[in-house]
Amino acid sequence: MVPITHYLVLAAVLFMIGMFGVMVRRNALVVFMCVELMLNAANLTFLAFARQRGDDLGHVNAFFVIAVAAAEAAIGLAVVIAIFRSRGSVQIQDIRTMKH
Amino acid sequence: MNPDPLAPYLPMAVLLLLGGVLAVVISFLASFLGPKKPTLQKATTFEAGSESSGHARQRFAVKFYVVALLFIVFDVEAVFLYPWAVKFRDLGWFGYGEMAVFAATLVVGLAYVWKKGALDWET
Amino acid sequence: MTLPDVTFADFHPILPALILMLGGAVLLFAEVFLTPSAHHGPAHVSRAHQPIIALVFTAAAALVSGWLMFQPARAVFLGFAVLDPFSAFLSLTVCVGLGLSVLIAAGFLRHRKAERGEFYALMLFGAAGMSLLGVSNELVVLFINIEVLSVSTYALAAYLRRGPRPAEAAFKYFILGAFSSAVLLYGISLLYGATGTTQLSAMAPQMSAALAKTQGLVYLGLGLLLGGLAFKVAAVPFHMWTPDVYEGAPTPVTALMSAGVKAAAFAALVRVFLALGHNLDSHLLATLFAFLALATMVIGNLLAIPQRNVKRMLAYSSIAHAGYVLLGVASLFVSGGAPTGGVLGATPLATGGLTAALRQDAVRGILFYLLAYTVSAVGAFGVVSALERREEEDRGTAWDLDRFAGLVHRRPWWAVAMTAFMLSLGGIPPLVGFMGKLLIFKSAVDAGLVWLAVVGILASAAGAYYYLRVVVYMFMRPAPETGVLPERHGWTEAALLLSTAAVVVLGIAPGLISSWLSQAGKLFGQ
Repeated sequence: MVPITHYLVLAAVLFMIGMFGVMVRRNALVVFMCVELMLNAANLTFLAFARQRGDDLGHVNAFFVIAVAAAEAAIGLAVVIAIFRSRGSVQIQDIRTMKH
Repeated sequence: MNPDPLAPYLPMAVLLLLGGVLAVVISFLASFLGPKKPTLQKATTFEAGSESSGHARQRFAVKFYVVALLFIVFDVEAVFLYPWAVKFRDLGWFGYGEMAVFAATLVVGLAYVWKKGALDWET
Repeated sequence: MTLPDVTFADFHPILPALILMLGGAVLLFAEVFLTPSAHHGPAHVSRAHQPIIALVFTAAAALVSGWLMFQPARAVFLGFAVLDPFSAFLSLTVCVGLGLSVLIAAGFLRHRKAERGEFYALMLFGAAGMSLLGVSNELVVLFINIEVLSVSTYALAAYLRRGPRPAEAAFKYFILGAFSSAVLLYGISLLYGATGTTQLSAMAPQMSAALAKTQGLVYLGLGLLLGGLAFKVAAVPFHMWTPDVYEGAPTPVTALMSAGVKAAAFAALVRVFLALGHNLDSHLLATLFAFLALATMVIGNLLAIPQRNVKRMLAYSSIAHAGYVLLGVASLFVSGGAPTGGVLGATPLATGGLTAALRQDAVRGILFYLLAYTVSAVGAFGVVSALERREEEDRGTAWDLDRFAGLVHRRPWWAVAMTAFMLSLGGIPPLVGFMGKLLIFKSAVDAGLVWLAVVGILASAAGAYYYLRVVVYMFMRPAPETGVLPERHGWTEAALLLSTAAVVVLGIAPGLISSWLSQAGKLFGQ
């Protein structure tokens, strides 16, 4: 049996990868995938703790997170398509019409 | 008892390692030892035996995305049916009613999508 | 296995949300089944009725919220949600913001020939999420409701897809919104690990044990939770997305974002940290919120000053207003044990601990401020939407101050209404914004945050500059010779009239809602 810390560390590493990915990656789709990675890191944490405690709640939460992530993926892809149609690129540096 | 909790996974690690090494060695040997006589036919992309057409990196019509998005949403909603099915007898009519409401909500969405024409492939 | 004991009474607190969702579904079906398609006849016949459908359902939800205000506070759905006057008042505020935004949208979409039922349906779905966020007493339910309102607003922000700006705003909003949601969720998962529950009422008694055992987990979880919510309310330093998103989104959507999304996120913030904050070092929480409030008030106001683009100025000003509300939140957490002479400048009251009555006053101040900001800001965005012209949007001059020059000679009533909104946002008596600021600053002073209240007053004095500049342009500058007279839209003018009435009446006679307000300070379990 793998101890729970391993799962938690894995989840934390996934979360950090996702977070840095959102900050440094330039392709909108990759940024979007990094966000999904963060959600899944949270999911893994839920499951690890649920297993440690022998508690169903964490498993139930994971289901809800999966459904929410799907809805978010659908709207996110739609927005990326809208971006692509309006400027023919999904690179973040091109998405900068407004002044800062 | 074995003190290391990861010990049962050792054979897996060995298998992964061996598999990786074997793959690298064989690919290397193949490119090193095999004869190379390229012809036009050999260089074209293999496409199930038929003539290949178009570029591999062409853009897809947006209607594929619409169908894919709808698929993701409706597919993932099914995830809630499984825990309900497992506990079906315990939850009884209350659970049935709740699931009926849930399914009805999805049907409303499906009816909207259908009537909106998002499922019409030709238009 | 025991079945959950759910009765119809459990559904009471979610009734406003259910009504709004039903309204959204009706609008969707009216759009696809009743609206004649382009091939069969004129499409505008039943589309003209869509805002009316939306308004009817919004009004019904508002009435039910008003009824809920006087129901005894209780937990429902096994403690996953609560019914309390606090959430009912929030629901009412959301309905007010939604109704005004729908009116603005009706004029806006008519002008752009972009009338479609989905726009109102998405607004109603989003508002349902906001209303549900107020009643959530469980962290995963809270997360789901944040997503319900966010997903609707992402879609609304991208609604006018033509032109690069809306797509860009929607994209930025989506990425940063999804990012902050993920941060929030990770925080929730860590808190679940530390306490073994995600239900706020069950989590609170576990906190001291969890703090003793896994302190790092609790603080990290709460920190991530706070970070995620701070993104949603646009508190400095999590505010970077606000100006671009507010500028790029369609103006009625910006109005809904600034009013509803912000109010709902603040309600969640107050509920979570009031429930979990008891066992934490309250000095830490108070200091944290005080610094958030300080940074948000000062930076929001300073960044708004140089803006000539009125829509962008209102975006920065919404950050500043989040700062004032955070000041109210900070005063909730000032309690005993604050070392004298510390950052907070403790007074006898602060060292004695904040009494329950004062805490209720602070909650009331926050709620009243959110309502005051809703009517003033949505009204201001209404004037902005009436004046903007689609042709200039891509050049970025659609919202320039010059568009307001001499407005009093062209559309005098609009100028008067805009003046009322600007003065109210600037906190000038006798308008509603002044009453809101008065309540917030009073509870801050009561809690011993005198120093911070002074900074807040100075910051709002600086803010008066950029609000008054709009008034000066409208009344003192000559109208451009060639300027086309802005078109009138009946719907938008109705929204302006209603907001102006609310800004003036609630400012002069806040006693009108005092019976509701005195109820609304009550949170379940507090």
